[in-house]
Amino acid sequence: MAAIVGERHVLERPSELLVYTADGLPGYRKQPSLAVFPRTRDEVIAVVRLLARENVPFVPRGAGTGLSGGALADGCVLLGLNRLTSILSIDPVNRTAVVEPGVVNVNLTKAAMPYGLHYAPDPSSQAACTIGGNVAENAGGPHCLKYGVTLNHVVALNIILPSGELTSLGSADGERDGYDFLGAFVGSEGCFGVALDATVRLSRNPEGVRTLLADFMSVDAAARATSSIIGAGIVPAALEMMDNPTIRAVEASIYAAGYPTDAAAVLLMEIDGLEAGLDRDAAMLEALCREGGARDVRIARDERERTRLWQGRKKAFGAMGRVSSHLVVQDAVIPRTRLPDVLNAIAEIGRKHRITVCNVFHAGDGNLHPNIPYNANDPDESGRVYLAMREVMAACVAAGGSVTGEHGIGLDKLEYMELIFSNDSLDAMCRLRALFDPDRRANPGKVVPVHACREWTMAVSTRVS
Amino acid sequence: MTTVGEKFLTPRDTADVCEIVRESFAVRGGRQLRIVGGGSWLDAGRPVLDAIPLRLTNLAGVVEYIPGDLTLTAHAATPLAELQRLVRAHGQWVPLDAMGNEHATVGGALATAGYGPLSATVGRPRDVALGVELVTGEGRVIRGGGRVVKNVAGFDMVRLNVGAWGTLGIITEATVRLRALPTVEATIAVALASEIERLTNQLLALRSALLAPLAMEMLNAVLASRLDIATADIVLVRVAGNEESVRAQRQVLESLGDTCDVPHDVWDRLQRSDPEGSASMRLSHRPSELATLWGATKTACASIVDVQVHANIERGIVRVVVPGGMSAELQPLVSALASAGHVIAERLPVQCWGSLGADFASPLAVGARRAFDPGAILNRGVLAPHA
Repeated sequence: MAAIVGERHVLERPSELLVYTADGLPGYRKQPSLAVFPRTRDEVIAVVRLLARENVPFVPRGAGTGLSGGALADGCVLLGLNRLTSILSIDPVNRTAVVEPGVVNVNLTKAAMPYGLHYAPDPSSQAACTIGGNVAENAGGPHCLKYGVTLNHVVALNIILPSGELTSLGSADGERDGYDFLGAFVGSEGCFGVALDATVRLSRNPEGVRTLLADFMSVDAAARATSSIIGAGIVPAALEMMDNPTIRAVEASIYAAGYPTDAAAVLLMEIDGLEAGLDRDAAMLEALCREGGARDVRIARDERERTRLWQGRKKAFGAMGRVSSHLVVQDAVIPRTRLPDVLNAIAEIGRKHRITVCNVFHAGDGNLHPNIPYNANDPDESGRVYLAMREVMAACVAAGGSVTGEHGIGLDKLEYMELIFSNDSLDAMCRLRALFDPDRRANPGKVVPVHACREWTMAVSTRVS
Repeated sequence: MTTVGEKFLTPRDTADVCEIVRESFAVRGGRQLRIVGGGSWLDAGRPVLDAIPLRLTNLAGVVEYIPGDLTLTAHAATPLAELQRLVRAHGQWVPLDAMGNEHATVGGALATAGYGPLSATVGRPRDVALGVELVTGEGRVIRGGGRVVKNVAGFDMVRLNVGAWGTLGIITEATVRLRALPTVEATIAVALASEIERLTNQLLALRSALLAPLAMEMLNAVLASRLDIATADIVLVRVAGNEESVRAQRQVLESLGDTCDVPHDVWDRLQRSDPEGSASMRLSHRPSELATLWGATKTACASIVDVQVHANIERGIVRVVVPGGMSAELQPLVSALASAGHVIAERLPVQCWGSLGADFASPLAVGARRAFDPGAILNRGVLAPHA
């Protein structure tokens, strides 16, 4: 390894590896055997081929901001891609960019700014997370309500399979026939190989933007207002909800955004597009909120106020650090009409287990983030948090939802997969994975519970007998 | 229910489909099945040889539709037209607009993944599909995705099967994303320059103008006159929004060339404009190359009469429709187009395929076929003559 990337970029000592034993989600610690950080495409290829030759499992990792334990390497090699930070090209006419996997999300948007373009998927961690990680996780973000998730913005990928073979998926030069392996790769959580570069779509900056904040005296009213906005046919660029515990955490922090601390919930809404007609849509949003019982609706007067309103939302997870030492950031999706009753159910679960649930989420998509501040060093509290989480997931599944909308399965949600998929469906996923990585060396043990892979289970039992 | 020797099989439900597939897989050498939804693509020039038609006609009807969720789940063979009528009553629409006939079904639309002018803004079928239920080549029922609009749980069986033409599994049920109908819509035709350099600039101006169009589709003179809009090349722009927004967009278009309003039904008529028995293919490159592709297509078609050509400005895709009975001219046309950009065959006689569809022979594609249809009994030959 050292011969490929240089000694400085291979870490072996436990003290050096400490920062790589966790990702954005507390509660899991896994020790990699070593961590290697190639700088160039050729170095990545050489490293992956060496790993293939030696038959060593590995975990690709971007910035490690993931929230599902997906980038943890348990006794195997951690392949860090955060040194491949070049934006290889920007094509302003065709509105695409070719980037290396370690490019930080927001840096792409900054680079596209002179052309009046931006990269639309905007996870809250966009100041740190990488495009490669976004591709692996099929990352979302507040503005995905109107603009779509990572899947909808990746045009082509050059990848290296765990076997060391190179292949390309999708095309930047027009359509390509064949199966949609590009679509299958996006969101494969590092289990299908490593992207060497990604061609992504850039979006035009909207001519006009209006950001509104509506505050409600009950969570239920805010949830119903959300449903009526979606049902009325307005597609806001973003429609976010924050409940009272979240508002208070934000307002007590350096990210104080001026949210009313006595509100039960606020809706942060944004519409964008052509300037013409935008005020009329904003007025319609305001009217829908007021009809739904909003106490007040205010429209950001300038860019500064707009940025401040958003800062509070994007840094809400960080702000919760004031409340407690650890935070479970959960992620689930429900049909949008079920928001009021599922939020009620979650509140009930919180009361039952004597924990605080802070809801800050993408209401317009029905993508919930029930977050629980707690102390991971308190076994009793940790146990209650775990039980509550299971019940929250079950409630979302019972409402016709999914166990993750944008954070991925990783390690954290493996046990929930069987709540939504049959054995045959899970086995099919294993087969899909086997097309890319028949030896299951890339990010082993993630996404699909191992016992659900029929072929693999059979192979093991044969070996044992 | 079904025995070999019948002319076709008509399962009543997913369980029936499973049983048929299991039986077919168990037959020595496999019994070939040809999946039939609305039957729109049976003459696509892709022979599914010696196969028994498996007609999904009975797998029809809505499974779940809650308007406020803006999603809809239906059995595979539910006609799209029926779904459009249903959701329109709630001010919504299904954003699938593949070129084709009125018999198109939701399952067929996802399996074939065709798309039309709307794809530039509302996305392609892969972006519209949220979940599928399917029966694999071994007769197992699997589900991918779900009924919610955002979902990253597990590896993506939905994307794998959308556009797979039923070769990795038979879609028996599908969930799609819906959209709310815009308050105001208008369709405006703008005259197009004929000289390539001027056309290039005009297309660039259209793409960068302050517009929020649902579609921008170029039509050649043959197609424009067939649709009774014009006798020269034009671009149809479908603008949407509230009244002010549409008014502003109209003004922008007027500054870009001669315009006229076109009745809104032109989009439905365009969707059904392929003449009976015609051959069709798509040609694509980067959007910036569209004027060049358009010119190359015209040159390549110069000696063939009545070729209908239309192109998606935002995606840079040209679609070429050649009337039936021109098989001698097709082969050289395909070669000429293939030297200008990437050609995807839609309906094309078997002898014209040449090297088209090569990606279906890639190691990943062959592996997928083997993994999900080990008996090679599902729609063999439908992807390309060699696949």
